[in-house]
Amino acid sequence: MTAPAPRKVYVYGVVRASHTVPPGRTGVGERPAPVRTLRAGALAAVISDAPARLRAKRRDLLAHQDLALALGRDGPVLPMRFGMVAPDEESVRRQLLCTQNDCLAALERVDGRVEMNLKALPTEADLGSLVREDPEVSRLRTAARRAPGYEASVRLGEAVAHGLKRRAAAAAATVLAELSDVADATAHGPEVEGYVLNASFLLDRRERRRFEGAVERLAAAHRDRAELRLTGPLPCYSFTEGRS
Amino acid sequence: MPAGTYTEEVVCIQRTGTLYDCLELILDRGMVIDVFIRVSLVGIEILKIDARIVVASVDTYLRFAEACNRVDLEFDRSKTVPELLGGVAGGGGSPAGRMATGLGKKKAKKAVAGVGEKVKRAVGADEEEEEGEREERASRPRRRTAPTRRRSASGPSEPSEED
Repeated sequence: MTAPAPRKVYVYGVVRASHTVPPGRTGVGERPAPVRTLRAGALAAVISDAPARLRAKRRDLLAHQDLALALGRDGPVLPMRFGMVAPDEESVRRQLLCTQNDCLAALERVDGRVEMNLKALPTEADLGSLVREDPEVSRLRTAARRAPGYEASVRLGEAVAHGLKRRAAAAAATVLAELSDVADATAHGPEVEGYVLNASFLLDRRERRRFEGAVERLAAAHRDRAELRLTGPLPCYSFTEGRS
Repeated sequence: MPAGTYTEEVVCIQRTGTLYDCLELILDRGMVIDVFIRVSLVGIEILKIDARIVVASVDTYLRFAEACNRVDLEFDRSKTVPELLGGVAGGGGSPAGRMATGLGKKKAKKAVAGVGEKVKRAVGADEEEEEGEREERASRPRRRTAPTRRRSASGPSEPSEED
């Protein structure tokens, strides 16, 4: 009786032990393996065999994301960060048991809730008002007209870019404050180049439409200064801690 | 993927569960367990896949300067940079096309083509597979530039010089 070599498992997320995985789901990899649950105490990890050569491909990112979304329809889920591979099932079980209380608290927190992500970026609309209101832009524009040239144009353009960004950041701060008031929790996302805001909001699923309405109103109110992009509902990537 | 189309008028784009708008969350948020191994993310970068995102570069600066000089402070209180740069001529109304009609149009086109390349590299697509899948997203920025290409001698196979 020889024990089989331990197989690495890819972990998609953590759910309550009572949570059932929709049948027929497959996971990451070129030939996606079936997804199964691994129960330990009051929790279960949603796993599949880890593919041998896993890289972050579009297909795999989608598989990870789709599964987390599908799981979320039947109960709370703590999505793993993409690409978490455990050396074997036993280590997953151990991990679940020793973090059980924290995970249960986090599951409680995201139960019935979704994550909505909002990004804001500068907009070039209404350049006229920037020229009128920004003294630096105005000064450099006059200078560039008096003595046109490459150097003068670059300076002017740089001032415009900074002005647009500053203006967008100020608008985004207002938006963030208003939305934080209506969300259950707010988390800052990683900085992404080109954006002035990346924030995630935790919301009751039933509040989603209202939240979207609020974002639409804010987007319209600030459309000359910032462009808002709302994505979601997403798995609660940004709210996997028991408390904020 | 049920991605919304970008139009100038849309100020708030709502897309459910789309990948690229939350790539950084999938890669950088979510639960982590220290004793687990993390798949190598070499080659992944969080990127801008929209040509409208303002990238700090000399080309952008020159484009802004040009637009700025065309602002008529007395009468014009509504125009955007692309409009100031010559309306929709050749761009078919797409932001990238319009941008490409203005100053530094060659560079702008290259930048747009480069975006598609970056997307492919970022998601680690192998050469031999996922052709159809990634086509959808990767080719979109390129198609936008198609109307202006006929002015280019080098044609659609022009390699990206970005990166």
